[in-house]
Amino acid sequence: MTHLSPIAQRLRITFGKAGPLRYTSNLDMAKIWERVLRRADLPLLYTRGFNTRPRISLAMPLPLGISSECEILDISLRERLDFCEASLRERLLAVSPQGLSIVAITEVDPRSSSMQSRISSAEYRIRFHDALERASLQRKIDELLCQETIIVERRRRRKRSVMDVRPLILSLEIGEQADLLAHLSVGDRGNLRPDHLLELLDLDGAHNSIHRSRLHMLAE
Amino acid sequence: MQPGPIEHRIEGHLLKVEKPGRYVGGEYNSVVKDWARADVKVALAFPDIYDLGMSNLGIMNLYHQVNQRDCMLAERVFSPWLDMEAVMRENDIPLYSLESKRPIRDFDLLGISLPYEQLYTNAINLLDLAGLPILSRERDESYPLVIAGGHACFNPEPMADFIDAFVIGEGEEIIVEIAETLGRLRGLPRNEQLRQIARIQGMYVPRFYDVAYHADGTVRSVTPNQPGIPARVLKRIVLTLPKPFTKFIVPNIDTVHNRAPIEIMRGCTRGCRFCHAGMVTRPVRERPVAEIMAAIDEIVRYTGFEEISLLSLSSSDYVWVEELAEEVNRVYKEAGLSLSLPSLRIESASADLLEKIGGTRRSGFTFAPEAAAEKMRDLINKYVSDDQVMQTARDVYSRGWRTIKFYFMIGHPDETLDDVQAIIDLCGRTLREGTKILGKKATLNVGVSTFIPKPHTPFQWVPQDTRESVERKQALLKRQMRRGGMHLRWNTYDDSEFEGWLSRGDRRLSRVIRRAWQLGCKFDAWQDQHKHARWLQAFDESGIDPNFYNFRERDLDEVFPWDHIDVGLRKKFLQEDYLMSIRRETRVDCRDKCFACGILPKFAKERATTEDLAWECPPVTPINERGRKRTVEIPLSAIG
Repeated sequence: MTHLSPIAQRLRITFGKAGPLRYTSNLDMAKIWERVLRRADLPLLYTRGFNTRPRISLAMPLPLGISSECEILDISLRERLDFCEASLRERLLAVSPQGLSIVAITEVDPRSSSMQSRISSAEYRIRFHDALERASLQRKIDELLCQETIIVERRRRRKRSVMDVRPLILSLEIGEQADLLAHLSVGDRGNLRPDHLLELLDLDGAHNSIHRSRLHMLAE
Repeated sequence: MQPGPIEHRIEGHLLKVEKPGRYVGGEYNSVVKDWARADVKVALAFPDIYDLGMSNLGIMNLYHQVNQRDCMLAERVFSPWLDMEAVMRENDIPLYSLESKRPIRDFDLLGISLPYEQLYTNAINLLDLAGLPILSRERDESYPLVIAGGHACFNPEPMADFIDAFVIGEGEEIIVEIAETLGRLRGLPRNEQLRQIARIQGMYVPRFYDVAYHADGTVRSVTPNQPGIPARVLKRIVLTLPKPFTKFIVPNIDTVHNRAPIEIMRGCTRGCRFCHAGMVTRPVRERPVAEIMAAIDEIVRYTGFEEISLLSLSSSDYVWVEELAEEVNRVYKEAGLSLSLPSLRIESASADLLEKIGGTRRSGFTFAPEAAAEKMRDLINKYVSDDQVMQTARDVYSRGWRTIKFYFMIGHPDETLDDVQAIIDLCGRTLREGTKILGKKATLNVGVSTFIPKPHTPFQWVPQDTRESVERKQALLKRQMRRGGMHLRWNTYDDSEFEGWLSRGDRRLSRVIRRAWQLGCKFDAWQDQHKHARWLQAFDESGIDPNFYNFRERDLDEVFPWDHIDVGLRKKFLQEDYLMSIRRETRVDCRDKCFACGILPKFAKERATTEDLAWECPPVTPINERGRKRTVEIPLSAIG
């Protein structure tokens, strides 16, 4: 290979993670996708160099243990693939591990800016072990939301810092099945993980499952 | 699918443990069969964590052999790491299989892989976590039958109290026979089941043998205590290697060797005297290139793995190695696939081979000269000249590879500090060659392990080197090899001493192993987990002297605790080779000259049915055809 192969096409795969795959980290998830795509025999574009890798990228790390229906993967192909979404989805699903689902496949502009920088918030659905009383859950939510600032201490690489996470909580609501619907900031401009939110609500350990249902992007 | 109760019970704990992906299964290519429709259920255990066990080719082979039969199923189980074990014990969660999340107790057969001795305490711990009594005699037919196999089982005696039956030799065919037999014997008393199992060639059932000892503690005799039980158990081999397994389970988390292996050759003709694998895996059987190429193709399609390792004990000796490298280069050069060919000989051709195969950028070049002094090379029967070493190093460095890794071994009989100094000197000269070519970028990694005498080898008679001597040698290495570009790795003597006890141990060690486990010993293969003082305490409390196993010079005609396990080698052959080592006499590769190790007469009937090229041993002509077809010279001593 003597020349840099151009990207012939970029595909965006929206996928879901459930069951055993919830315990696969983001880094390992990239490896799983590499292998799914290779098994499906897509014309992947590889990076150059000794440790050559397919050019794929996952959008927003999903914390361990959380299921999702809105994860995003971008892949670059070295040849154009004239595909029908339904049949390509079948082709991928046929070689996917248990717990991987495919929500949508679309073509995107290869020159578009990275998704990672455009994702700003995420919605989560949190189920509890024993149905909490709506009233008590509502009280906890109200108590949290009425605070003007929520100062927490964070540690990152031995550095301690304090920050206000109140602006990162965009909304908290109670769903039909007494589950908690949380809309939280994610990404570089401020990130609040759902398990941290549960700590703030004094509900850590009380939840049964956490599910990411939607990612919000800033317009390009 | 409705998740089983165990799935529910672990769910809330998984985020509290490290790498929970180890405990949930669901990987691509894992086989989940209908439990109700399987007649015989087999749990296959590797007694260390998932990350290691998933790289074990043996387990995968057996998994495939069992699962391809309609009436059987095989599922995997590994040791939980300490954090998960604590969770399981606290919450009364029994050890379960990864596929159907069923308790191991519900299986008919539990097969434990024991490739090395450091796994013994983990194997016992597995039984305990599964809710099985750890002692074989305390388990009746209501429990799964517990079998073990793997290289450590060529001396099964230390584990005799815990395992119901051992597979001696290769497992691919026998595992199915055991499962079938067990299916027919359901409901019969365990002893009766075992009597039938013991009739399968290659199966060893320790309870059917009595061991008598001399006053000095050595074995007087091992004799069957039941009619119909063979006095010696001949190992099981497959006549030709079955088609390589290719539908590897693709892990959902990173593992130690996150790649697919293909065995290109089994056995080795080199005859290095310290090498257990080289002695117990005879005869040499090779796979045709076309079969390997087809397997690579299948692996890519079935698994998507980006890395494939072509395994054997000595890849340079694989007859078609150049042809294989050419083919791999032709087909996969541009495909984003990385192949590796470990265990190459120290010779210039190796650099060519690796360059063609192309998977070395990650792993670098690894060679095993083992010894640097001429005397030691003769003694261990692994001859490589200094010139070969230097020339190979020049070839490698001058092609732009920066790192070479050397393996040496210290602690062989009669080794002096001068012989160790020779290692230091050779490494120094090698690195200087590298520096001439690459400057400061050249590095040499040197692994120096300590020799442990192994059963069924010409060195089974020799005393193991003492702590004092080994530590003096290691101190010299550490002092002299501390220089830029050179990195030294070594084993602690505790680990070597421990491996020594178990390698040449007898049945009485079961008591010690059990006590050590009770004292909290497990994960002995992990240097930071091995608790040497507890092992010494276990010896002490069992009234057994550990030094009896390591430091005794054994008499030439001593009956060994493993003598009734027949790996196909004549004891006479091993004795001769041992005596030759004392006289510094060497033997050439047995492809060039058969030394009558014993394999051919033991498996003469089988050899007569295989093709000439299928084994490296000379072909054998059935007696009634002699004179009509060409005959091949085998030394008389081999026939006798």
